[in-house]
Parts: sequence; C-alpha cells; structure tokens
Amino acid sequence: MSVRLPEPLQRLTTDPDAPLRQGAYRSALRDERVAAILGAALGILFSICFVTGLYSHIQQNPVSWLPIRPRPAGLYRFTQGLHVAAGIASVPVLIAKLWVVWPRFVSFPVARRLSGLVERLGLFPLVAGGIFMTFSGVANIAQWYPWRFSFTASHYWMAWVTMGSIVAHGGAKWAIARRTLARPSRRPALADADPELGTSAEDEAGAGLTRRGLLTTVAAASGVLTLTTIGQTVRPLRRLGLLAPRDPATGPQGRPVNRGAVNAGVVDLAQSPFYRLEVSGRVARPLSLDLKDLRAMPAHDTVLPIACVEGWSFSAPWSGVRIRDLLEMAGAERDRTILIESLEPRGAYRTSTLNPDQAADRDTLLALDLDGETLALDHGYPCRLIAPNRPGVLQTKWVNRVVVL
Amino acid sequence: MSAAPGPAGPRFWITAAAGWAVIGWAVYGIVSNSLDTRPANLAKFVVGGALLHDLLVAPLAIVFGVLVARAVPGPARAPVQAALAVSAIVAVFAWPLVRAYGLAANNPTSLPHNYGRNLLVLLGVVWAVAAGAVILRLKRAG
Repeated sequence: MSVRLPEPLQRLTTDPDAPLRQGAYRSALRDERVAAILGAALGILFSICFVTGLYSHIQQNPVSWLPIRPRPAGLYRFTQGLHVAAGIASVPVLIAKLWVVWPRFVSFPVARRLSGLVERLGLFPLVAGGIFMTFSGVANIAQWYPWRFSFTASHYWMAWVTMGSIVAHGGAKWAIARRTLARPSRRPALADADPELGTSAEDEAGAGLTRRGLLTTVAAASGVLTLTTIGQTVRPLRRLGLLAPRDPATGPQGRPVNRGAVNAGVVDLAQSPFYRLEVSGRVARPLSLDLKDLRAMPAHDTVLPIACVEGWSFSAPWSGVRIRDLLEMAGAERDRTILIESLEPRGAYRTSTLNPDQAADRDTLLALDLDGETLALDHGYPCRLIAPNRPGVLQTKWVNRVVVL
Repeated sequence: MSAAPGPAGPRFWITAAAGWAVIGWAVYGIVSNSLDTRPANLAKFVVGGALLHDLLVAPLAIVFGVLVARAVPGPARAPVQAALAVSAIVAVFAWPLVRAYGLAANNPTSLPHNYGRNLLVLLGVVWAVAAGAVILRLKRAG
C-alpha cells in the first residue's frame, strides 16, 4: 500500500487547502470537529428517514407479525411528513459534509492498515447511498423519474445499503467523534490534528467563513428548504410553500390529487349508469349496490387526512358508508382481510387491503362526499376508500369491489 | 482528519461486520428483486451519482470557492460565501420544479406554483440578508 504520488499531486491530495496556501486565506473549515458535527446531524436525520421509511414500507407491504393499527388516525400523516421533511433538511448537511471531507476521498495512500482499508471501502456505499437517497427522494417528490427502476423498491433497498454503511462508519468514527465533540472548540484544531494540514486563520479579519459560519450557513440552507416545502403538510405554513410540489388548497374541491380520473383511465367507467359496488368473496350474501342503494345506507361523517407518500397532506370532512356496515350486511365473518378494488384498468395501486382492525374501524368508509359535496371525479367518484392512519396511495379511489378474503 | 490511526478496536470490527452484513443483504435484495430494482439502471444512478459528485462537482466547487475567496474583499467574503452556498443548494433543489420535469398532464394540482419566480424571490431574500451582513461588518470595522 505504498502508492506514492508525485509531490505536487501528493500535496493536493493530502492537503485540502493546498490551492489556498498562496493566498492570504486558509480554510480551517475542513476540520474534524466540523466533520463530526455535520456527521452527527446527518446520522440523526438519516435515522429519522430510515425509521419513518420502514413504517411507510410496512404500510404498503404489510407483514403479519406487525399489523398496522388504524389509530392514531393521523400517525402516517405525521411520520411521512417527517420523513420527507427530514430528507429535505438533510440535503444541505450532506453537501456540506461531503465538501468538508472530500479531500479524504482522493488522498493517498489509500490505507495503511487493514482496518483503514475496510473503512475506506465503506466510504463508497456511504457516499453513493447518501447521494442516491437524497437525489431519488427529492426527484420523487417533484414527480420526476429520470430512471427506469421502481422508485419505492430501489429507495427501500438502498436505504439498507446506506444504513449499513452508517453503522460501519459510525463505529469507525465513534471514538474520534466523541473526543472532538466533547471538548470545547479550540483554534487551531486542524493544525493540531495534522500539522501538515495548515493552520486556522479564523481570527484574522475578513478571513471568510468561520467554522461556526459554515455550520450556520448549513442550518440556514436546511431552514430555507424546510420552510419553503413544509407548508404542503403543515397547513399554517402553506403560504411559505414557495418550493412545495403541492399546495394543500389547490385542486378539485380545493384539494390536491396525485392521479386524476383521466390519467387513471376511469372517466367513462366511473360515470356509467351501470355502476355497481359489489361485495363478494367469503360472504353469506353477495351484494350488488348502485349509487342509490349506497346513498340509502346510514351515512357516517368523519374528518380524516389524505397523507401522500410524497409528503403532502390535507385533512378533510368525509361522508359515506362504513366498510363494517357493508360487511355486516353481506354476512361476512369478522377477522377477515378485505381487498378493495378500483375501476382503474391497471396500475400498482388499483387495489389495496384492509386488515381486520382497519376494516372494523368506525371511521373506515367508502366515502361518497367530500366537504359536504359529492366527490369530484378526480377524488374517486362514485366512491373511494378513506381510512385512518393510511398512505394516500392506499386510499383506493373509484371503488367498485369489496372482496372478503 | 487525524494522522495515522492506531489499531482498530472491537467496536470497529463489530460495527464493520454488522454494517457490511446489512449492505450485503441489501445488495442481495436488489439483485433478487431485479424486475423492480433494475440493477443495471440502478447501478448507473448510484455509482454515477457518487462519481459525478466526487470527480466533477466537488472539484469544481472547490476551484470556484478558491476564486471567490480571492476575488471578494475581506468584509464581504464570509457573507458572499454563505449566500453562494445557500443559493446553489436552493437552486439545485428547486431545479426539477422550475423546469417542471415531473409535470403531470391532466392534473392541475401537479406543480401548482410558479417555481421560477419563487426561486428568484428566495434568492433575492438570501442576497438581501447577505448585503445586510456586509453593511453590518463594514460599519463594525469602520
């Protein structure tokens, strides 16, 4: 492991400030304390994303050993809003962290010990994973898909790659991070750690950004991105949502949608006079109900959120028929999983399932009305599923079949 | 950024083993779900993203940073550096929205804002704050 570079290149690759040496200003920003603070912040933000992301994953890919509870009703709205917000806030932190440690990526020799080599190799999945997770997430909320893979599957598996790298990196950096975070900031920390890396010029007037200045800048950038996007889910901040991909008050009936009736290919089917809602499967009495029948059933009112996986949400008053009333009418057994099918001819989200708890919840409805008006076509006319604590993509629209499994 | 590190302890090897086990399992997951994950296409973005950053974006940013540090006079330097960093990050984040790459047809709720104008407003605010900081520094100095 003794690949030596020519002298000028060596200086460039071991000395982050080499190009600045000739000038009056030498950056002291690439120091281990700044790296540790940014790393810790990134570790926290990515962990929030990871846990909330796993919750979203088991919402969409249910596992029998951890069934999703229907309560609290706004839980998914909170966790997914947090997921997207933490991901957005991490963008400036990641960029700053990469800038601070970048010289290490191109420094030689690659490693002096086996542990150093293992640590160095681990930087690749760490950096590539971090960049991929933030890029794919930010592109996804803008509904921009410049790739051919499935976003959900790839974002999920790459999250494990990234978290695995964070565990390894955290273990490798634990001691040094603790040491540098525990002691008060001193100048010149950088020269202290490695005299070759130069000295701090923080106290010189007009020297440029200090370490504190850099961290403040990162916090400001995270703050700007958070404040200008969080309004898509935190209603009082709606007016600040300059960069929010959705506005919670723009759309049919003043509410946004992800997929309208035209794109779902249901315009004619949903408005057909022959529309029927069928309740079938393991039932004593299969039902076939038209809109009049549905309107004749006891109506139930509730206020529930639509919480999109992309981080926007709104809460609204819904009115319609309880799923549990329909099941009782059809003579279905309790403790069954229920399949909800849409008129949509195709698409990953044309069906969804309700576990027994979700199906029995008093607020799990086939909604006919939104805000006291008949559902708009884009919101799922003639009827849509609305249930507590559930991702928007599983609030199936244009429902025509309820199957007891 | 320390010099030669000492021998790695048990913590290093335990977390390395756990971390790499998770990475290995995830790679297996990617390969065995290839219909969804399209490993070749995914690799292009994962590896490409890292290389693009490490070999192009980061060096360019560093060169640009050097030029800015040399060109901008003392009292204005820190505010200009901070404002440039925030502007670049906000602009990169906003770019897919400004260009409306993901605009859905037949959906008036898709990308409802004038993102180009909004980005300019934000950049205006950022640079107004930076200008304020420069004035404050000049006053304090003089």
